[in-house]
Amino acid sequence: MAYQLVLGKMKNKIIITINNLEDKEKYQTLGINLFAYPLKEFCVGIPNTFAWDVLDKDSYAFLNRIMDNKAIDELKEILPKLNVKGIIFDDLGVLELVKDMPFEKILYLSHFNTNVLSIELYLKYVDYVIISSDITKEETEYIVRCLKDKVILNALGYYPAMYSRRLLIDNYSKFHHIEKENPLVIENTQKKFMVYENEYGTVFYHMPLYNGLELMNLSAKYYFINTSFLTFEDIKKLLNNEYTEEYDTGFLYQETIYKLRGEEND
Amino acid sequence: MTELLAPAGDLERLKIAYLYGADAVYIGGRDYSLRANAKNFSLEEIKEATNFAHTLGKKIYVTVNIVFHDKNLKDLDNYLQTLKDYSVDAIIASDIVVVSKASKINLDVILSTQSSILNYSAIKFWQSLGVKRFVLGREASREDIIRIKKECQAELECFIHGAMCTSISGKCILSNYMTNRDSNRGGCAQICRWVFTTENKPDFTFMSKDLNMVTYIKDMLDIGVNSFKVEGRMRSIYYIATVIKCYREVIDKIKNNTLTKNDEIYYEKILDRVANRDTMPQFYQKFPGVNESYFNDRIEVSNQDFLGIVTGYKDGLIELEQRNYFKIGYIVEFIGPNMENITYTIKTIIDENNETLDVARHPQMKIYLPYDKPLPKYAMMRLKTIV
Repeated sequence: MAYQLVLGKMKNKIIITINNLEDKEKYQTLGINLFAYPLKEFCVGIPNTFAWDVLDKDSYAFLNRIMDNKAIDELKEILPKLNVKGIIFDDLGVLELVKDMPFEKILYLSHFNTNVLSIELYLKYVDYVIISSDITKEETEYIVRCLKDKVILNALGYYPAMYSRRLLIDNYSKFHHIEKENPLVIENTQKKFMVYENEYGTVFYHMPLYNGLELMNLSAKYYFINTSFLTFEDIKKLLNNEYTEEYDTGFLYQETIYKLRGEEND
Repeated sequence: MTELLAPAGDLERLKIAYLYGADAVYIGGRDYSLRANAKNFSLEEIKEATNFAHTLGKKIYVTVNIVFHDKNLKDLDNYLQTLKDYSVDAIIASDIVVVSKASKINLDVILSTQSSILNYSAIKFWQSLGVKRFVLGREASREDIIRIKKECQAELECFIHGAMCTSISGKCILSNYMTNRDSNRGGCAQICRWVFTTENKPDFTFMSKDLNMVTYIKDMLDIGVNSFKVEGRMRSIYYIATVIKCYREVIDKIKNNTLTKNDEIYYEKILDRVANRDTMPQFYQKFPGVNESYFNDRIEVSNQDFLGIVTGYKDGLIELEQRNYFKIGYIVEFIGPNMENITYTIKTIIDENNETLDVARHPQMKIYLPYDKPLPKYAMMRLKTIV
């Protein structure tokens, strides 16, 4: 029942990545109008990316790479020409470049941004912060209560569990002299990850996909959906609560531990 | 400024690190540190360690580098003020809330490698918050370091030796998913050393070999790296002594313009023997490929070279605490702070009851070895390395 909200008044609060331009029109039929375009030279772990000049004034540029100097130099060239509604990024080097630019700045610092004070500090420099999904629902609710419409929540999509600069599938395939499979699904103790590589590195995504649509009942500014490795039909079913495949809720109900019991920690 | 920076998981290792040549040591407290399953330091021990460091005229840094959840913030102000009161030289942090709170009380911050910095623009952001020193991501290439130095004139701290995360630091929560242990709050279970299966291909592993920069230290000095950081707060005293002594000698010889190619080969062999994994330069000179990682054929070697630690000298006898099996006839080597290595053939072993033995079998047993000159406390006896 709660998910019907998504297609009701909440539809205006979704920022969704797209895998191709045709999907944009399809999502518009659902009433979703905020689109994030993963930029080709500045994204990792995303199969479908776009050249910067495809973006229009209603779109968000999405950049999730940790940038080296060369990438920063390239971005510096592009930024003045970028006519967008906003930019979503991970690397704080990007923040330094865009802090005085006239579009929305959204900080998506992957596994950081897990407490109110840190987010408040970053909000001095950006318009919105995407809260990490490494924390529990209770912790998320507390942050949203404190910061309300200055924060954005991950709502749906495969969630990154690891990002390496190395070309891990490439190295593995070369070592074993086997055909490269990208993405590659790996498993240990019934835990699965989808590994995807491009020239900028390798990302491990936890499987099954993360479904945090229940968080849309909170009063965050936007809800972020990453559609990588998913189809429009998948997303539509998920939004309508008709998805029959497996999904999980990440750490919403699973608090992580970090101090081990026993003498070592005494 | 050039600094050799050592890790220490407890007071004994800290003292060893300084004695063997570290200019500075970094330690973790029992809260807020990323190696939650290291023994780590109580507040009292941090105070003692800081006093010890400053007595020697050396520096000490404390890691406060977890990613904070709201409930972890409760005692942070008091903790930082206590570190300030103890006069630690800096903290190592990555979360902006720690940087902000520390700067308010004029406690210096070194930005942790957890912040994943590979570009000059990110450094400029943190400089605007008052951070002066940066631990670059282990993925930084030589060109990256040169450019960052040129653009920012920042103090740069670079890892030169030890284990590598496969992930960019701060970008991995595999441990959270696999073991429910939060890697960014000190619970990392090192999932990158696990073996994964695939549906129809060979097992998938993605473990990096370790880092070793002996042959690039001179170049790193030339391009302006300030602090040379050794990884390993959970490593043994023998590992710390050996690695720090090697790099101390390398740096000193470079400064005296006496380092030879043969020296480099010698130090690499010594370092290889103390390591339990292969070591290599990784990202510095070229992009790492197949050769820089392990696949299914990894063999982790348990090192038995460390035979004992010198605890005293009296009446022509070295007093030694045994750490690994040795016997009459072994050719060993004593290494120690401020001394040349001494080669020694074991001809007599005497125990606490003044009885002679053929073999020293028991770890931590007291052993006496005849020698005509005193050896310093904390000198170590190891198997002679043939190079």
